[in-house]
Amino acid sequence: MFLTLPLIASAELSAETPEFLTHSFLAWLTNSILVTAIVLGLITWMVRSCTRKIAIIPGPGQNFLEAVVEGFFGAVEGILGDKMTRKSFGLLGSLFIFILISNWFGLLPGVGSIGWGVKDGFLSLSSIQSPLLRPGTADMNMTIAMSVVSMILWFYWTMQITGPVAFIKELFGVKGGMTGPILFLLVPLFLFVGVLEVVSILVRPVSLSLRLYGNIFAGENMLATMINIGHLFHCPGWLTSVLSCIVPIPFYFLELLIGFLQAMVFTLLIIVYLQLSTTHEEH
Amino acid sequence: MEKGILSQFGVDWPHFIAQLILFLIVYFVLNRYAFTPLLKILEERRKRIEEGQLNVEKIKKQLAEAELRYQEVLRKANDDAMQLIEESRKNNEAFSQREMEKAVKESAAIVERARHEITSERNRMIDEVKSEMVSLVIKTTAKVAGKILTSEDQNRLSKDALSDLAA
Repeated sequence: MFLTLPLIASAELSAETPEFLTHSFLAWLTNSILVTAIVLGLITWMVRSCTRKIAIIPGPGQNFLEAVVEGFFGAVEGILGDKMTRKSFGLLGSLFIFILISNWFGLLPGVGSIGWGVKDGFLSLSSIQSPLLRPGTADMNMTIAMSVVSMILWFYWTMQITGPVAFIKELFGVKGGMTGPILFLLVPLFLFVGVLEVVSILVRPVSLSLRLYGNIFAGENMLATMINIGHLFHCPGWLTSVLSCIVPIPFYFLELLIGFLQAMVFTLLIIVYLQLSTTHEEH
Repeated sequence: MEKGILSQFGVDWPHFIAQLILFLIVYFVLNRYAFTPLLKILEERRKRIEEGQLNVEKIKKQLAEAELRYQEVLRKANDDAMQLIEESRKNNEAFSQREMEKAVKESAAIVERARHEITSERNRMIDEVKSEMVSLVIKTTAKVAGKILTSEDQNRLSKDALSDLAA
């Protein structure tokens, strides 16, 4: 019996434009783009209010932002070193802060649960087909955009620091300081390894974007399923209401953690890619 | 096939470009208004703290030197003061001695002068008395004798009277 139940409450893979906008000039404005714009406004307001009157002796807002920036800068500096951190901190900090706020924005009441769908009484839907708000990171356009920007800048900084010759040598060159006839034997092997390396580099944007999108999208669906669990099991109305309040609570904490971890993982992977391609010269 | 999969996930150029622009704006805003000024102010604060630490060390050193100098000056001033007091005490004693000697001398001179004056006064008075007595003897003799005495008589009488008074 349980296997036949529709356990996923809302499972639209893509961000959607509200129906009344689909034929207007705002057809590009999906629910994810709307949330991204809101998050952008939120970040701009927060940053401007904290740093408008920047001073040596900080106010509470500046102090909070300084603590975040200083802590994150210290962590990145420990991996990349001072020079590379100063170069890449703008991207890394932006990625972390934006992904974190976007992920947590998706946990606000109303995000994913208010929208258009199958009517079930006055101001009530049995299932949502097109939510009004959807987290920016639950849209693959956004995750791909971030990955592409990150990988373009990764390539630019790598070329700037190591140069194309050293980069190609690092990819295809024979490692281990081999000399003599064994070197010639190992050349085809390391060329093949280089090709694999190039493929892995090309796959990075895909893996980065899919990982973030998959986690956040799955989290959204899981929460929607947990909120609708009483309805899915055809429980009485009062029990459905009680379950929709109690059951999602542990999952909200889990999603808070996942939101933070995914922001961290995305940023850390870019840091590791930068570290691998820019610091091997020092070894 | 790939295009089909991406379309299934809602990936298309207009939405991709919209999200790309939004992310680039986030990057610009955070980099321009948060990271750059905050890292600059953190660096400035770090430098100020470093300078402050150096200044504290410098001030501590200067304070220790000043304390040493102060102690030295104080010790010297103390020595000078003691020396001055000693000199003053010695001067005072000598002055007192001199003044005392001077006073003694002056008082002795005064006494001597007084004695001399008394003596001379006494002699003068005795002479006056003698003169008065001689004059009285002459006048009395003249009256008793009932004649006018000559100057020779007067000389003789005065000599007699004087010799009697001296006896």
